[in-house]
Amino acid sequence: MNCEDLKNKLEMDFKEQVHSLNITPQKEVILTARDENYLDICQSLFSKPEYDFKHLSCLTAVDYIKENKITVVCHLWSYSQKCQLTVKLETNREQPRVPTVEKIWKSANWFEREVFDLYGVIFEGHSDLRRIMMPDDYKKFPLRKDFADDGFIVKPN
Amino acid sequence: MTDLLLSQIDINSNSLTETDEYIVNLGPQHPATHGVLRLVVKLDGEVVKETMPVLGYLHRSIEKICENRTYPQCITYTDRVDYASAMSANLAYAMAAEKLLNIEIPPRAQWLRMIFVELQRIASHLLWLGAFAGDLGAFTPFLYGLRERERVLDLFEMTCGQRLTYNYIRIGGVMIDVLPEFVEKCRLFLDYFFKKVDEYEELLTYNPIFLERTKGVGFITPEEAINWGLAGPSLRGSGVSCDIRKQQPYLFYDQIDFKEEISYGGDCWSRYKVRMNEMRQCVSIIRQCLDHMGPGAVEAKLPPVLKGPNGQEAYSRIESSRGEMGVYLVGNGTPKPWKCKFRCASFNNLSVIDKLTRGWKVADIMAVLGSLDIIIPEVDR
Amino acid sequence: MSGSLKLLKLINVILEHVYKFLGLTNPIPEVINAFITAAISFAVISVFVMFLVWMERKVSAHMQSRIGPNRVGPFGLLQTLADAIKLTTKENMEPQKRDKIPYFIAPIIAFVATFMGVVVIPLDKGVTIQNLNIGVLYIIAITSFTVIGILTAGWSSNNKFSLIGGFRSAAQIISYEIPLVLSLVPVIMITGTLDLQKIVEYQAHAGYWFVGPQIIGFLVFLTASTAESNRAPFDIPEAESELTGGFHTEYSGIKFAMFFLGEYISIIIGSSVAVSVFLGGWIAPAFMNFLPVPGFFWFVIKVLLVIYLIMAFRWTFPRLRVDQLMDFGWKILIPIAILNIFLTGLWILWFSKGV
Repeated sequence: MNCEDLKNKLEMDFKEQVHSLNITPQKEVILTARDENYLDICQSLFSKPEYDFKHLSCLTAVDYIKENKITVVCHLWSYSQKCQLTVKLETNREQPRVPTVEKIWKSANWFEREVFDLYGVIFEGHSDLRRIMMPDDYKKFPLRKDFADDGFIVKPN
Repeated sequence: MTDLLLSQIDINSNSLTETDEYIVNLGPQHPATHGVLRLVVKLDGEVVKETMPVLGYLHRSIEKICENRTYPQCITYTDRVDYASAMSANLAYAMAAEKLLNIEIPPRAQWLRMIFVELQRIASHLLWLGAFAGDLGAFTPFLYGLRERERVLDLFEMTCGQRLTYNYIRIGGVMIDVLPEFVEKCRLFLDYFFKKVDEYEELLTYNPIFLERTKGVGFITPEEAINWGLAGPSLRGSGVSCDIRKQQPYLFYDQIDFKEEISYGGDCWSRYKVRMNEMRQCVSIIRQCLDHMGPGAVEAKLPPVLKGPNGQEAYSRIESSRGEMGVYLVGNGTPKPWKCKFRCASFNNLSVIDKLTRGWKVADIMAVLGSLDIIIPEVDR
Repeated sequence: MSGSLKLLKLINVILEHVYKFLGLTNPIPEVINAFITAAISFAVISVFVMFLVWMERKVSAHMQSRIGPNRVGPFGLLQTLADAIKLTTKENMEPQKRDKIPYFIAPIIAFVATFMGVVVIPLDKGVTIQNLNIGVLYIIAITSFTVIGILTAGWSSNNKFSLIGGFRSAAQIISYEIPLVLSLVPVIMITGTLDLQKIVEYQAHAGYWFVGPQIIGFLVFLTASTAESNRAPFDIPEAESELTGGFHTEYSGIKFAMFFLGEYISIIIGSSVAVSVFLGGWIAPAFMNFLPVPGFFWFVIKVLLVIYLIMAFRWTFPRLRVDQLMDFGWKILIPIAILNIFLTGLWILWFSKGV
């Protein structure tokens, strides 16, 4: 399935549930979900045989400090349809809370722990939300853009 | 006195036969953890009740560093993401950057990239073979594997002057063209190496003790394996066709005739067998690449300063030695990436260790850990 | 009379004269004799162990396409000596919360227990350090004491890896003791004696070695004695990749050296018994009978061959898992050994009826 087909199909199915749906110049389909529909979209992408996104390739977050938002980004891959999809969910920076997709893809367990560790995003309903790389008593979130530490000098970007 | 003691023990309670959980720390310094991984293992005698990996002992925040370097500068850090398979990491990053910046690469550079990534796969699998056999208590294959790995590294050294962290695959092509005698030396090595794979197999594959230790150990079904995000040879050992070289062909893999190695056992032995067969496939791929490779430039014309387009992003995946390696780049109109995320196979492969070892013996943790081919810098980054 | 026996007699005569000259009467000369024998055998065995360590390194190097030690002394022969000096002069690191006395005694028990087995090995015709008429029984009994040393070491080190290693070792040695004994029983049935010297002499008279009729017994014995000495593929008590060092994780310096020495001595004893019982001890091979060499020479050659075999096991096989090891001992080796006893019994019955 090429990216145009995928986009048309997604448009038909999830028209009302998404903020935006577009194809980037890099030929990737990006879907930005509404908060309340995020889990439903993920669930149907996972279970519907015409999508069959069984593989959560990557889950990470991006800190857009100027827009005051953190975006959680899921990269999905379908082994049967051989297509790639990016699902995004935006959340505010002060109280970043998003629902967990751990119940759909088990691999999200560690990905979400990593995002929690490095960005401070709280995944609601996660079974084991602890820091994964930094020490347990660490207070800061290193991958946030306003992170500053004694040993780390942030160069202006 | 005796009466007093006896009266304190309630015969009906099972306090006499009650057993305690025995918590053992395997690592961070331990001969079998391939680096500084710490496994907190709850034991009931010899039986594993729970394995809890504790990560972060090798966390160098490479992703944060990359956000503060220009696009070409990041390549050196990708070497350190996976030092046992640095070429693959180079390639993954370079491809993501090229996708983001929309750069075309000359064909000779693509063929060279394929040759080096496949050579790296051989080297990485050889190192894995030694470590895996070492975990099972057979020390000899380790030295056999390193003996041949040495010759791969010689080829690398001949080309880029480095033996571990190459910094060879750059954005827009490769660092430098190979020497004229490289092709011949590479062919000589391939002929020599192809026979050696049989030698390793003779030593291990059907050795009764090896079979006892690996058959049925660390079993995972295909559905679960996909759901847990396993990738690469570990997933193909469960019988899932997941090779990104076939699924989403990059470079010139669609022009090459090779077989995707799959084994259906889902246990340590199948994962072992997949990797052994993959080494043979690597030889065939490199031979074809050497045949196809024509003369030409090895580096594309690039603007003096590479600037990621604002608000755009790219996620590109390759089949590294350990499985799926993805790089996610977000540009913001400056020479530095706004976000750089490495999706590494070892990270997900390690996350199933608890599931695979529960109910097995302590020694099986080593077998499973070895068969998943974990490399710690990739897990911690 | 064999050459080595003549030599020993000569030394004895000289010593007797010395004692007479000094005017010493029994039991003082006997005690002095015992001390001299102990000292000599300790020195000889230690040198032999050093040679074995060197041999093991060279064998493994050869199998792994390496060179092995070649710097200290000719062919690296003195490498082990250098290592021994290093180990003895090393700082003795001890864990703070160890159990002091058992921690100190453990390597001594493990070492002495194995070393005492040397006493009854028939080195040549009529030459044994102290011949006992229950030699076989003695060796089996005394070498089993090693397990106490290992268990004590595992327990007193106050380390979880050590403890697991100690328990594994106890389980392993106790289970493999049984096939070890059972594999020797058929030979005892045939010869009707527990005296190792007499078993060898029986083979000399009979004109065959027991490895022929008792091939099953020989293989079972070899396997079980490899397991007894904690060697790969049965080295689970010190499984490096699982338990770092097993029971000797917390030992360093001379104490570690004693465990190390004990392991090699137990290999020597295992193969010496195998040679004496199954491979004709000091008897020269039939086609080499004409050579004017003492029986001791043949004994050493045979022991080295068996040790080479055990070393080759170590460097080719992966390690068994603990439950598989137990299964192998109880479900395969013991039934085979019992079957072997039964068959031998039938054979003896049939043979004696025929006569």
